[in-house]
This record gives sequence, C-alpha cells and structure tokens, in this order.
Amino acid sequence: MAAPLKSEPLGWSGEDICLADVDSALARLRVEAALDAPSMRTSVMTHIAWVPEEWMERSRQALAGMGERHPSRTILLFPEPDAPDNRIDGWAAVERWEVPGTDRRLVTEVVELTLRGVRAKAPASVVEPLLVSDLPVFLRWRGEPPWGSQELQQLVGVANRLIVDSTEWDDLPYPYRRLGELFPQVTTSDIAWVRTSRWRAHLATLWPAIGGVRTIRVHGTAAQAWLLCGWLRSRLERPEIVLEHEPAEKLEGVALDGETVPLPPGDPPAPSDVLSEELERFTRDPVFEAAVLATVEP
Amino acid sequence: MSETAAPRQEENPLEQGLALRRTPDPCALVIFGASGDLTHKKLMPALYALAVRSLLPPRFAIVGVARTEGDDGTFREDMQAAVRQHARDPFRQEIWDELVEQLHYVSTDFADAGGENAVHDLLGRLDDERQLGGNRVFYLAVPPGAFPTIVEALGRRRDERGWTRLIVEKPFGHDLESARTLTATLLEYFQEEEIFRIDHYLGKETVQNMLALRFANGIFEPIWNRQFIDHVQITVAEAIGIEGRAGYYEQAGAVRDIFQNHLLQLLALTAMEPPIDFTAESVRNEKVKVLRALHTPGPRSVVRGQYGRGFVEGEEVAAYREEEGVAQDSMTETYVAAKLYVDNWRWADTPFYVRMGKRLARRETTIAIQFKRAPHPPFEETAAEGLRPNVLLVHVQPDEGVSLAIGAKVPGQGLTIRTVHMDFLYGGAFRTGMPEAYERLILDTMLGDSTLFTRADEVEEQWLLVDAIVAGWQRDRPAFPNYPAGSWGPPSADDLLHRDGRSWRRH
Repeated sequence: MAAPLKSEPLGWSGEDICLADVDSALARLRVEAALDAPSMRTSVMTHIAWVPEEWMERSRQALAGMGERHPSRTILLFPEPDAPDNRIDGWAAVERWEVPGTDRRLVTEVVELTLRGVRAKAPASVVEPLLVSDLPVFLRWRGEPPWGSQELQQLVGVANRLIVDSTEWDDLPYPYRRLGELFPQVTTSDIAWVRTSRWRAHLATLWPAIGGVRTIRVHGTAAQAWLLCGWLRSRLERPEIVLEHEPAEKLEGVALDGETVPLPPGDPPAPSDVLSEELERFTRDPVFEAAVLATVEP
Repeated sequence: MSETAAPRQEENPLEQGLALRRTPDPCALVIFGASGDLTHKKLMPALYALAVRSLLPPRFAIVGVARTEGDDGTFREDMQAAVRQHARDPFRQEIWDELVEQLHYVSTDFADAGGENAVHDLLGRLDDERQLGGNRVFYLAVPPGAFPTIVEALGRRRDERGWTRLIVEKPFGHDLESARTLTATLLEYFQEEEIFRIDHYLGKETVQNMLALRFANGIFEPIWNRQFIDHVQITVAEAIGIEGRAGYYEQAGAVRDIFQNHLLQLLALTAMEPPIDFTAESVRNEKVKVLRALHTPGPRSVVRGQYGRGFVEGEEVAAYREEEGVAQDSMTETYVAAKLYVDNWRWADTPFYVRMGKRLARRETTIAIQFKRAPHPPFEETAAEGLRPNVLLVHVQPDEGVSLAIGAKVPGQGLTIRTVHMDFLYGGAFRTGMPEAYERLILDTMLGDSTLFTRADEVEEQWLLVDAIVAGWQRDRPAFPNYPAGSWGPPSADDLLHRDGRSWRRH
C-alpha cells in the first residue's frame, strides 16, 4: 500500500470545558475538513487510552498512525488527580488521510482530555458521552493499572477489551494474579504476550520433544519470560517447569533444558503492528488467560 | 530435552491458539510459461508479497519452465526486475535474498521427446535437498494448446509421494465440446480435487465480500429476492483495448474473454442461495445451481458491439479493426450486453442486465442491486423528482467498497428529497492494503483450498450458455464498428433496457 499523505490536523482546544464543547468542536472540524476535498467519517471503534503523565509522549508516538490503520475516535485521558483545581482541559482534532487511488479523504478524530483533581476519579462518566455508538470500545492502559481502583473498574466497565503491556510493570509475576481477576469482567490482551507469538509458533514446532522440558531460560523482558513459561506450563500441563530469566530489552533468545533454540524465522513485529493486531481481536483468548494464570499458580 | 516425560497426546497442545496464519506444507511450485507476461506481472510479484508476509512454506522451491534459453542466473535477474517493477510492496533486499535461493529455471520444450526429463530430475534433486516430500503445484501459465502435452507428461511421471495440484489458467476451452475435451484430458491423470481452475476475479477481496455482505448481514438477505429487487446490473468495463493480444482476442471476443467466466461468476455469487458452510463443495454447489437455472437469452436479449475510433482520457485511440493483428473485416465482438433470467423461486422474472466490453468510458466493475421503488411516497411529485430508486452498489474495482443510494431530505423549508450515497470504502475502513488476487489464489492452492476456484461442472454450464448465445450470432452480421471508443457501448445496448422502461445506471 502506498503511504498515505497526512494533512495537518484541524484542531481545537479549551480549558475547563464541558463535553458538549468537544462534540461541537468535532462537528465543526469535520465540516472544515470537508471544505477542500470530500471527506469520509469512518470509524471501526472507540479507542480509549488511560495515560499517566510519564507515559504521555510514548502514548502519542504509539498512536501516531493508528488512526490511519484503524479509523476511530481516539480518546486520550491524562489523569492529574493531584492538581489543585477540579476541571477538564481538552483538545480535539480531526486528522485527514488521503485514501490512495481516490479523490476522497478519511477523517479520524482524536480527543485529549486532562482530568484534573476529582474529575480524574470518575473517568467513565467522562468518556461515556463521547463513545461512538454501536462500535466496540478498546481501552489501552499504560503502565501497571491501579488494581481495584475506582477509575480502573469504571473504565473496564465501559470497554469491550482491555489492552495492557506487562512489559511496563514491576515485580512480575505477581501483578498477573491481579490481571487474572479481570478476565471474567473484560476481554483482556497483553502486548507483551503478542510479542512472544513468533517464539511460541517456533517452539510449537519442537513438539513432541518439547513435551518433557524441565527448564526454560528466556533472554528477554521479564514479562516475555514469565508469559512464555506460563504458556509452556499451561499447555503442557506441567506447572513444575522452571523459569530462568536473563534480562534484555527485547526477546533475544530461548533455551530449553540448556539447549539454545535457533531464532524463529521472520522479523519481530513493529510496536504499532503489535497494537494494531490486538485491535483486530474481539474474543477472549483462553490460551493467553491460562498462560497468565500459570505464571502465578502453583 | 528429555523425551521420556513427554505427554503422549496425539495433537500438539502448543499449537492451540496459534492458528493465526495458514502455512502450506513444504512444496515445489513449478510455473510453465515462466518467461511470459503473467509470470512477470502477477505470479512473481504475488510470490514476493507472500514472502514479505512469511506466508510461503518453510521449505519451498519455485521452478520456472519455458522454452526460452536461460539458466538460474538469468531467471533470477529477470524475476528480480519483475518484482521491482510490479510488486505492491517496496523491494526489500533481505526478503529477496531468501526468496532468490528458491528460484530455479529449466529451459525445455515438453513437446520434444524427453523434454520433461530435466524438470523431473530437478524436482527429484530439490526433494532430496529441501525435503519437499514430493509435494507439487504445477501452474500452467501457457496457451491452452500446450495443455495436453504438459498434462500428459506430468501425469505419466507424477510422484507417488506427497500431493500434486494443477493450476489451470483460462480459457478453459473455447466452447462446450473443447471444455469437455480439456476436462477429460485433465481427469485422465488428475482427480477433480487436484485441479484448480483460476478465475482471478474470485480472488478479489470485493468479490469475496459479496458473500460477506449477503450472508453476514441480516438486513440484506430477507430482501435479496424478486419481491424487493427490481433488477440487477453487472458491469465489467475496461478502458484499455486488446493490448497486443490480437491473436487471442480475435478467437475469443468479449463473450469468451469476460462473459463466459468473470461475468457469470459474479452473477452466480450475486444470485446463489446461502451455502450451508464455506467449504469449496458447498459454495460451488450453490453457484452451479444458479448457472443451471440461467435461461438462454433470445437474440433480442443480447447485444454485441465492436469499438471504432474514439477518445479515451482525451487521447484518440484506434478502432478495433485498426489494431495490429486484427483482420480489417473482423466480426469479433469487443462488447456484449445481455438480459438474463435466473429461473428459480428467488429470482423468477427479475432481469439481470449484464454488460462488458473494451475501450469503454472507464475501467469499472460493479454489481448494482436496484430495489423496487417505495409503493406510495406521500410527497408531492415535485418534491421527489430528484429521487432515484435505492441501489446497493458493490464496487469490485476500482474504489473497492459498497455504497447504498438512499433518499434524504434537502435541508431547508418545505420537503425536497434527493438521492445521496452512504459509502463504505475498503481503503477507508481497512487500511491494511488489499492483497492481489493471485496472492490469495496461489496460497489457497498450496493449502488445498479450492473454494475460490471453478469446478468442471461450473465451466460446462457457462459454456452451455455461451454456445447457445454464439449459435444465434451465426445468422446475422451486425454493422461493426457500432460504438466509438470511450463511450458506454452501442445504442442498441441502451435500447435493451429502454424496452423494459429501465436504463443503465448513471456513471
């Protein structure tokens, strides 16, 4: 596919806003976007991201280009619960994308809301009025979710799918137990799990010899190490499989009972490809859920 | 790893949840006609696209076979140039470096005694080196005259190990008798389930989307019948001429080039009953029922045309009879329009107007489902004068997608209604890039999935209809040329619909 040309987004911003202001601004911006070329407002989902301050830039980078792949209304929530005042500051934009081979443009919408003070405590009530009707809601949570908190429970309540990246978490594998508690409430996926897919497919080709494995050594992130181990434990029904973890920024190698496994074929997926792949899944993944639970269950 | 403690399950438990991609068995793909246009423009770019997406088998070989002199080196250079020029993905050296190792070339002529030996020997060697298990895909990208010789040679020396699949490019004969002869030749050495007759239209995403549109959406199927649909229009229009293929086109004409295969397949997908599942046999069983139910049109229901000089995109283009290799008094049709009826419970008395041709005003393949008008619009006549019937339009190419024409109130005082379009554009909702038809079809062949290929009985039904139409043409001699290049065909094609109080869709 030829790379589409991206036009400058048309934007609006305001402080201490109400959500009707956002709707009005988006409507106005869509009209503006249609002035110089026919535009289509096509959405396949609402994409919510809960982004604590330290994840702000990385979130924007990961989302760059997402609108082009998955036309959607993206709502980025920046919580500032410790701010001295209680208000919502907002920025809304429509982004225009050339549709290759046509004279039309695709219009997608991005809304950034800074939730200050107590306004960060009831985020579901903030996003509900902005959800695109009848389309699935994906919730991307940056960093480790505040397990059991009101804001997590609320946003999980409006989402069809929760996407986390356990690579961003500390003290693994213990948070996996808390993640497992969410499985009955919301379909969940972990980007760290997706990043192991090439290796899982590769290790599966070692069946049946792999069936008797006693130790897996993973040279990669802790999340990838635990998830691969949990996967082997659950699939092989062998909870006694031992994990040896050699830290690295990315998944670089796997050894089984001391024998190095050759690298799987192909390239590792790009970060935006990984998120994109997760946004195309709608159903629970029992293999993933079993792997997560097997990281912490004896 | 210790094997003693391995669970004794028959199925690999690690594969559960991994079935994200279908990967074919190791195999060799042998392309006959490897020096031809199809290999350069379609097959090799498709194989490269599959390689980019890691969809080729882990152990694989591509063997090009042609009479043209050459060796592995020249073939590899030639194919690299083809990929650089025609692939939809940017050229990536690391992908090519892996793929090029799998490319081999054999210069031979199967018409010569022992001409097949070199291919047979190479495949045997590749089997040993790459453990291909004797699995073969033979792709016949050669003129139909060469089919019998190649098929016989392959059939006589087919490997006892592994599976064998044979891809056959159209035309599948030039009439019913020759199609039956071809089928008999193929079946002498191969089973029907080993034969993959390619109609590349069926590999197009939008054609497959017709099945999704009809059978995944509860709102359409209840009204997909004679009670609600006034008529159907199928257009396969090309702006290009015969592109130097006079030798083929003079024999084939529009009726054999497009009508007999692409167009009738589009009609079958539009009119078929819901299959019980999406397996090859179920889908093809339903399609062939439609083809059997097609009523043979009388002479007044078929229009043929041939283009004269005209203008396409502002440029003057030659008449068909002025094209190189075309007889000056050629009576080959470059345009066909017809009114067809599917004689069954769902479609009785509902006309399917179809048209196809070369050097038309623009390239466009569409299926338009025109619904009956609202029975009693309670508006003043003037209010609704801009209102046209609802049309569900499937854009097969270009602008792949679906649009629905509906009536909407014009803003302002009073009540004026105008037709507007609700659009679903593939490029707007799914930005992953549309695979080329040949990628899907080659991969499906390697996987043994023949759902998107044409079965022998479908081909025969298609020829039965074409033979009946062509038989009627023997009795008259129309005044060709009868439409200028760059137009929408001869006036008599408009009359075909005007007689019924209808008109071709406005473009």
